[in-house]
Amino acid sequence: MTQKQKALSKEEEILLQDFSRNVSTKSNALFYGNAFIVSAIPIWLFWRIHFMDLLTSSPLFLIITCLSTYLVSFAYKKTKFVLKHKVAVKREDAISREISKMIAEDKKMNKKEKDERVLWKKNEVSDYEATTFSIFYNNALFLAVVIGLSFFLLKSFSPSFNYILSVGLSSGLIALLSTGTK
Amino acid sequence: MSCKLLIAFSLAVCLSAVSASSCSNPKLSSTSFTTLDGTILTNIAYVSQFKLSCDGEPADIPLYAEVGGKPLSVVKSKETNEYVVSWLEETKKAPRGNFEIKVYDDEGYAAVRKAQRNGEDTTTVQPLGVVILNHPGAYNGPWINSELAAVIVAFAVMYYALTTKTKLEA
Repeated sequence: MTQKQKALSKEEEILLQDFSRNVSTKSNALFYGNAFIVSAIPIWLFWRIHFMDLLTSSPLFLIITCLSTYLVSFAYKKTKFVLKHKVAVKREDAISREISKMIAEDKKMNKKEKDERVLWKKNEVSDYEATTFSIFYNNALFLAVVIGLSFFLLKSFSPSFNYILSVGLSSGLIALLSTGTK
Repeated sequence: MSCKLLIAFSLAVCLSAVSASSCSNPKLSSTSFTTLDGTILTNIAYVSQFKLSCDGEPADIPLYAEVGGKPLSVVKSKETNEYVVSWLEETKKAPRGNFEIKVYDDEGYAAVRKAQRNGEDTTTVQPLGVVILNHPGAYNGPWINSELAAVIVAFAVMYYALTTKTKLEA
């Protein structure tokens, strides 16, 4: 068993990593950075529009923003994983056609190398598309729900409760929705 | 003799009082003001200021006013010799357009009250004059408030995101 595991080539390991649930450090940083920005945006809303005091409410802002950052980045990762495969399937034909055209003149390249290149490109394209779309989709969902909740449904609540519930529920909702397998 | 003199004197006083309160050839000239910005106010003020002249002379008689069947008091400014009628309406209920302020003198108003008491039509009583007050309507803020606009935009973007995701997953 261990021998078999060792037998995995470097390319195969990279390939496995590409299609695993784990995201690269770069991707992780991108997700956490984005999640932090989008989670911090409601602070402005509650500071300037709902007149919460920035200094006295700062512990609350910090806790909820951290919680929301975690939940939003969780949603990003899950959505990305689901979408990556779908995008890969959708773009497969176009990518292989493009790669074939590009390397048509290169007679030296054998079929295995061609397939590897197609796979690599497909992985790169689907990863990029899934990452960007996951960020856009979850941000749009999160902000729409935050605005809807804070201005309409939780309007009568005190600003602090309004903030906790609207940001907490919104990030919770997108995290929950992202766990769906479809 | 002294009794006759007393009667004649009191008659003369009565007549002069009657002639002072009645007004022939009344002419009304008015200026009006209404609140135009209702964004931070709870009530809209309707104010009409007018001058009354009887036979070309400025009048100095007590007046009464009525708008849409609602009696209103008329205040007279001694400095400018002008009459002022004003009332308030809640911003949300405040109607717009032309308002007819019917101005009555003592006799006319008494006749109106009498007609009201008897359940008769008050429009049969001729007012001293009618002052028109125009209220073009107050500005109550933008048609769509900012939070609604923000929600509409946010949900439009969310709808686009959802449809794109559905297409990707199809």
